Amino acid sequence: MIRLMSDTKRVALVIGSGSVKCAAAIGLHKTLLRENIQVEMVVGTSGGALYAAMIALGLAPQQAQETSMRLWTHQVTAKHNRRSLGQILLPNAFGFDENFGTVDDTLVMERLRAAYGEKRIEDAKIPLYLTATDFEHGEQVVLTKGNLVDALRGSIAIPYIFKAHRVDGKLLVDGYLSDPLPIGVAIKEGANVILAMGFESPYQGKINSLMRYTFQVSSIMANNLLKSNYAFHSMAHHGEVIPILPQFNQHIGLFDTEKIPYVIEEGERAAEEQLPYLKKLLASSV
Amino acid sequence: MELSTKSKGSVQIVSINGSLDALTAPELADALAAELRGGRARLVADLSGLEYTSSAGLRVLLNNVKDARSQGGDLRLAGVQPNVKKVLDLSGFMSIMKSYADVDAAVASFAE
Repeated sequence: MIRLMSDTKRVALVIGSGSVKCAAAIGLHKTLLRENIQVEMVVGTSGGALYAAMIALGLAPQQAQETSMRLWTHQVTAKHNRRSLGQILLPNAFGFDENFGTVDDTLVMERLRAAYGEKRIEDAKIPLYLTATDFEHGEQVVLTKGNLVDALRGSIAIPYIFKAHRVDGKLLVDGYLSDPLPIGVAIKEGANVILAMGFESPYQGKINSLMRYTFQVSSIMANNLLKSNYAFHSMAHHGEVIPILPQFNQHIGLFDTEKIPYVIEEGERAAEEQLPYLKKLLASSV
Repeated sequence: MELSTKSKGSVQIVSINGSLDALTAPELADALAAELRGGRARLVADLSGLEYTSSAGLRVLLNNVKDARSQGGDLRLAGVQPNVKKVLDLSGFMSIMKSYADVDAAVASFAE
């Protein structure tokens, strides 16, 4: 069997934010496994962090699919944090602070623990880098060791929905706020062939609530940040950034868990498109 | 990747077909550099046959658009196909490079 790697090529898989769409990374991973292409590091943020962790821990694609379908369902946001409404309407009376979140995070913590147990980031078979955002200073935080569930919880702390999560003294919010596709981490860690799977945040269509208005603003900013960071990293990097951009012909909502098999298929399709070039590149001396 | 170059008035048209990536980008870099060295800074990249570009291809386009503009010319795009446009959009290139539906429109734009 040919093992597609070389001394000079360090392949990184970077999975950006995108909630359920990030399951497309399972399809990409499936393709890489079939072709025996070795990945030397996995980087993930937000929804992408959930899949980066599964891949780095060595979950087989089928296992990763089943795990994510159990983990990420509508129920995780079903229980509201009652205090949050009071905090919005009467901030002084209810004490508005940086721990604001409209959803009770008990279930999401339970689901994360069920999926990842007590694993630590450094337990991963492939070096794993998870990113979140420092809520106090706005900087990207790269998590490379420590409790995996805590790191993931910080990375997926979607503003307004989940409260920020404190890890090692830092109050963490969703990684997309600092970089929706953290290619820079892979560059810094020495990768020279970067498979970058990114997703644009969806726009809301009808704006009929404060939450939708807020998400619309957030999507506009996140998508522009995605583009500017991607441009900078593509230009600054000496190696190769291969964009893997699945196309979805149907709307994929934040919790459309039932669409995960379809999302995986599209991820596989997008990976197949890049495969001939990737194989040629890995076999070359460039 | 296949490259071909032709002139139309004072404009050089470089047609790029196939895949523009780390393996093929140096060839395009050489071709564009040769045009610029010869003082031919009004360039059109005909991308109607380009199926793919990676970051290596983007870097060649960026370097040459800067060089062409510094010589008083420009590197303009023509016939960008959807797959390539996706990457050019994501990387912000469509906001800094002029792009036209076809080569004729791109060539004509230099007369404006």
